[in-house]
Amino acid sequence: MLHFDRRLIHNFDWVLTLALVLISIMSLSSLFSATWNGGPAPSPLFFKQLYFFLIGYAVIFLLINIDYSELELFAYLGYGSVCLLLIYTKLFVKTVAGTQRWIDLGFLKLQPSEPTKLVLVLVLASCYARRESPENGYQLKDLLRPGILTSVPFLLILIQPDLGTALMLAILFISMTLFARLRWSTLNTLSLAGLGCAWLGWKYALKPYQRRRIETFLNPEADPMNHGYQIKQSKIAVGSGRLFGKGFLEGTQGHLNFLPERHTDFAFAVWCEELGFVGSVFFLACYFFLLLWGINIALSARDKFGVFLAFGLVMLIFWQAVINLFMIMGMLPVVGIPLPLFSYGGSSLLTTLAAIGILMNIHMRRFHKR
Amino acid sequence: MKKGNRRRRRPQEEGERQSSGKPVISRVNEDELDFYRRRAMYSSGVLIFFFAVLAARLWYLQIQQGEEYTQLARNNRVRSLDIAAPRGNIIDRKGRAIVTNRPSFNVVWVREGDRIDEELIKKMAVILDADIDELLARIRKMAGTPGHIPIRLAENLAWDKVAYIENNRMNLPGIKIEVAPQRVYHYGNLASHIIGYLGEINKKELENSEPGVYRVGDMIGKMGLEKLREKDLRGEKGRHYMEVNALGFEQRNLKGLKPLPGNDLQLTIDVDLQQTAEEIMAKEEKSGAVVAVEVNTGRLLVVASSPVLDLGKFLGGISRKNWQDMLNNLKHPLINKTVQGQYPPASTYKIVTALAGLAEGIVTPDNTIYCPGSYRFGNRSYRCWKYRGGHGSVNLKRALSESCDVYFYHVGQRLGVNRLANYAKQLGLGRKTGVEMEHEKSGLIPTSDWKLERYGKPWQDGETLSIAIGQGFNLVTPLQLTMMTAAVANGGTLYRPAIIETVHDPDGHITERFHPIISDQLKGQERNLNIIKEGLVEAVNGKHGTASRARLKGIIVAGKTGTAQVVRLKQYKHLKEEDIPYKYRDHAWFTCFAPADKPEIAITVLVEHGLHGGSAAAPIAKELLQKYFADRLAEAEEGGSGTGETATNPQD
Repeated sequence: MLHFDRRLIHNFDWVLTLALVLISIMSLSSLFSATWNGGPAPSPLFFKQLYFFLIGYAVIFLLINIDYSELELFAYLGYGSVCLLLIYTKLFVKTVAGTQRWIDLGFLKLQPSEPTKLVLVLVLASCYARRESPENGYQLKDLLRPGILTSVPFLLILIQPDLGTALMLAILFISMTLFARLRWSTLNTLSLAGLGCAWLGWKYALKPYQRRRIETFLNPEADPMNHGYQIKQSKIAVGSGRLFGKGFLEGTQGHLNFLPERHTDFAFAVWCEELGFVGSVFFLACYFFLLLWGINIALSARDKFGVFLAFGLVMLIFWQAVINLFMIMGMLPVVGIPLPLFSYGGSSLLTTLAAIGILMNIHMRRFHKR
Repeated sequence: MKKGNRRRRRPQEEGERQSSGKPVISRVNEDELDFYRRRAMYSSGVLIFFFAVLAARLWYLQIQQGEEYTQLARNNRVRSLDIAAPRGNIIDRKGRAIVTNRPSFNVVWVREGDRIDEELIKKMAVILDADIDELLARIRKMAGTPGHIPIRLAENLAWDKVAYIENNRMNLPGIKIEVAPQRVYHYGNLASHIIGYLGEINKKELENSEPGVYRVGDMIGKMGLEKLREKDLRGEKGRHYMEVNALGFEQRNLKGLKPLPGNDLQLTIDVDLQQTAEEIMAKEEKSGAVVAVEVNTGRLLVVASSPVLDLGKFLGGISRKNWQDMLNNLKHPLINKTVQGQYPPASTYKIVTALAGLAEGIVTPDNTIYCPGSYRFGNRSYRCWKYRGGHGSVNLKRALSESCDVYFYHVGQRLGVNRLANYAKQLGLGRKTGVEMEHEKSGLIPTSDWKLERYGKPWQDGETLSIAIGQGFNLVTPLQLTMMTAAVANGGTLYRPAIIETVHDPDGHITERFHPIISDQLKGQERNLNIIKEGLVEAVNGKHGTASRARLKGIIVAGKTGTAQVVRLKQYKHLKEEDIPYKYRDHAWFTCFAPADKPEIAITVLVEHGLHGGSAAAPIAKELLQKYFADRLAEAEEGGSGTGETATNPQD
C-alpha cells in the first residue's frame, strides 16, 4: 500500500503547502492574541492548537502516501465508524450546554460531527463517481443512495442538537449533487420540497433558541444583549480595525471581553480588529487562493472520483468559511460553524488538515499512471 | 451551463483509456471527465463571487464605516466621568467669604447596556436606605441619555456609607462615588436676592446652552448673580477616563482632564452693613428694602430686600408647597424689592421739584410761600400734610425740612409736569439704572405725552400738583432713589450702581475690575444742589425737621422722609393708623447721605406699609450710619463732647 513513487516528490503540491503554512501562521498568531492574558507566556490553549497543527501536518504526510483511490475503501469504513460514534455520543455522553457533541479522549475532546463532514464528502464522491451520469442528469431515484447516506448522519447530528453542522452536511450534499448535475424537473421538485421542509422545520422542528437566533438576526435591536449583542460586538471589532488595525495584541474588543467566543467562532474578528483591512484582505486572499487552488486540483484530477472528491473537499472548507465570515461580518445569524484552520478546536482542525492532505494527494496523482 | 448538451456535441467513443494495473474506482470516461472538469472550473465563479462579497463587506465595515465603529469600540471600553468644577467663590468687598463650596459625596451608577440591573438597584436601595421606587424614578428620568453618562442615585452621603460602598465596589458593578462640590452659605441667607441660588438644569436651559457644557443633572444658577454670572462662576468640568471590560470593571485609568475652578466674584457689598440692614428689617418683621451706595463711585454697599429668601429651601430643588407659600406671602419674599419694587416716591420727590424750581428760576432760596394748610386749585382743595394750622410762611429750606406740601404745589404748578419730568430723568428716575440684577423695573415719571399715549386723555393741571409731591403716577425703585440722593450729594453726577468689585480667576489674576460709570451729569447745578442740601440737613438736624430720628452726634446727616399713599379710601380716613389693614397702610421712605459736608454714603430705606418715613424708615438708616461711621462716631464722642450742642430729642 505504501508504495512511494519518486515522481510524487516531483509533483508535490508546493503551492498549496505555501498557502497552508501562511494561513497556519496567521491562525496561530491570532490565537496567541485572542488567548493572551497579558503575561509573557502564551496560554495553554495556544500550545494545544499548535500541537494539533503539528499532528495535522503529520496526518497530511501520512495521507499523501496513500493513493486517494484507495481511500474509497476507507470511506465506508469511516462512515460506519462516525455513525456509530454519533450514536454513542447521543446515548452515552453527558449533556454539556444543552447538547451532546463531544467525546472526551483525554488529549482531545473529539467532536464526531467534524470528521463526519469529511467522511460524507468521501462517500458522496464515491457514490457519484461510480455511477455513470445519465444523459440529462440524475433523476430523483438516482439520488436515493446519496440521499440516505447523507440523512443518517444529518439526523444524528440534528438531534444532538447541532443545527449548524447538520446544515453543513445538507449544504455539502446539495453542492455535490448540483455538481453531479440534476435534471431540471428533479431540481424543481427538490427545490419545492426543500422550501416545504424549511417551512415545516421553522414551524415545528426548530428549538426556540434556534428560532430566536434567526429572529434576532433579522431584527437585531430586539435582543441587543444576547445574539444581537454578539453580532454587534463582532461588527464593532471588525469595523474598528479600519485600514491598518489597532496593532497586534492591541485590540480592545477582544481583550476586554466585549467580543464573545473570541478564540473559536469569532476568532477572525480579532484578526480584523488588530490587523485592519490590510491584514484581513491578505488573509482572505490566501484563503481564496487556497480554495481556488483546490478547484484547480479538481479540474486537473485524473479521474471522476478525484474531481468529485476535490470539489467536495473545497466545498467543505469553502462553505464553512463563508458562513463563518458572513456571521462575523453581520450578514448571517449566529450559527456555530467555525472558520476552518482559524477557529480554535482540534476536531475541526484535524478534519480540515486531513481534507487538505487529500487535496494534495489528488494533485500529486493528477497524471495517469503508466 | 448545467445543461449537459455540450457533451452531445462531442460524442466520444474512444475515451476509455483504462489505466492499467491498479483497481480504479471509476472507469475513466474522458468525455465525462472533461464535462466535470469544466463544471469544476465554472464552480470557481461561486468562490469568486462570495469572496468578492466578503472583501466588499470588509471595505464597507472597516473603511466606509470604520470611524463609527471606532467610536463605538471606544464607547464600549472607555467610561468617562465628569468631575464637577468647584464653582467660584463669592466674597465681600473686604474679602470675607459669603459663598464657597464644600465637597459632597454622591453615588452614581453607570449603566452597562440598556438593561436595568434590578438586583443591583435593590442592593443600593438597602445600602442607601432609600425607597427603590425613588431610585428607579431617577433612572427613568435619565432614560434616553447615552449609557456612559452616570445616573446620580443619592447626594450628600454620610461617611460610613461612602466607606461601605468603596469597600464593596467589586460587588457593585457600575456604582461609583462621585465627589461634587456643594454651595456653603457662610452668612446664611445674606444678600440672598442678589446672590441667588442653584438648581438642577432643566430641559429648556439645556437646549439653550452651548453644546457640551452641561448635561442632565448639572447644577446651574437659577437666580441672582449665580445666574447672571454663571459663565464666570461655573468653571470647566474635568473628566476622568477609565478603561473598563465587558463586565464594567475598571481596568486602568487613562489620561484625564483636571477641572478648572470657576472665577471668584468680589462684591462691592459690605457684609457688616448688609447684615445690619437685614437684621433690623428681620427683627421688626418689616418688609421692604435698604440700599446703600458709595456716593462718589456707585459701588453698592448694601442691597437688602426683606424678607430674605431661605436659600436652604432651594438646595436640591424647592418643593411646590414652599414655592406656593412664598408666592402667597403678603411680604413677597420672592421679589427683590430694591429693583423690582416700584413705589410712589412721595415727599422724597420734593428734592426733584426743588431742584427744578431753582434751576428754572421759579423760586429762589429766599422766596417764601404762605402755607395755610391747603392749596386751592380749580375747584378742589389740595391738602398739606399739616392740614391743621399749616406751616405759615415757608422758604425752600424750611419747605424741604418740614416737607411742606403747599410750597411744592406752588412750585410744581408753575413748572408744569414736563419740566419736572426732565429733572427727574436727569436724576435717574423713570429709567433702569443698569445694575447687574434681574428683572429691574424702570419706575415711572409721567409726562403729558405719556398720559396722552397711555390713556388717550390730555394732562390735567391738577395732576401736576400730585406729581410735584411724588404721588399720582410717579413710581420709583429704592435703588433709583438711592442713586438720585447720591447724585444730589456728590454735586450732580449720576453713577451706574455696581455690585461687582472684581472678578478673578483661580490663579488670582483679575479679569474684571470695577470702575465708576457715569450715566448722567447735572451741569451747573452745584449751587442749587447746595441749597437743597441745606434743606436736607435741616430736615434731619433742624428743630422741626421731619427726619430728626436719623440724627447722629458728630456726623451731619442730610435726608428726606416720605410717606407714600397706597390707597386713598375714605373708609380708612378716620381710622387710627394701627387699625388700617396692613396692605392699605402707607409706605415709609427715608433717603439720606452723610457726612453732609463731604458725602461718602447714601442710604435709602423703604418700609412697605410702614406708615411714616420719619418714624419707620429713618431709624433704620440711622443704625446703618452708626455702623458705617462707627470709628468716627467714637472719636467724636471722646473729643467732641464739649461742643455743648444739645442733642434735642427727636420729635414725633
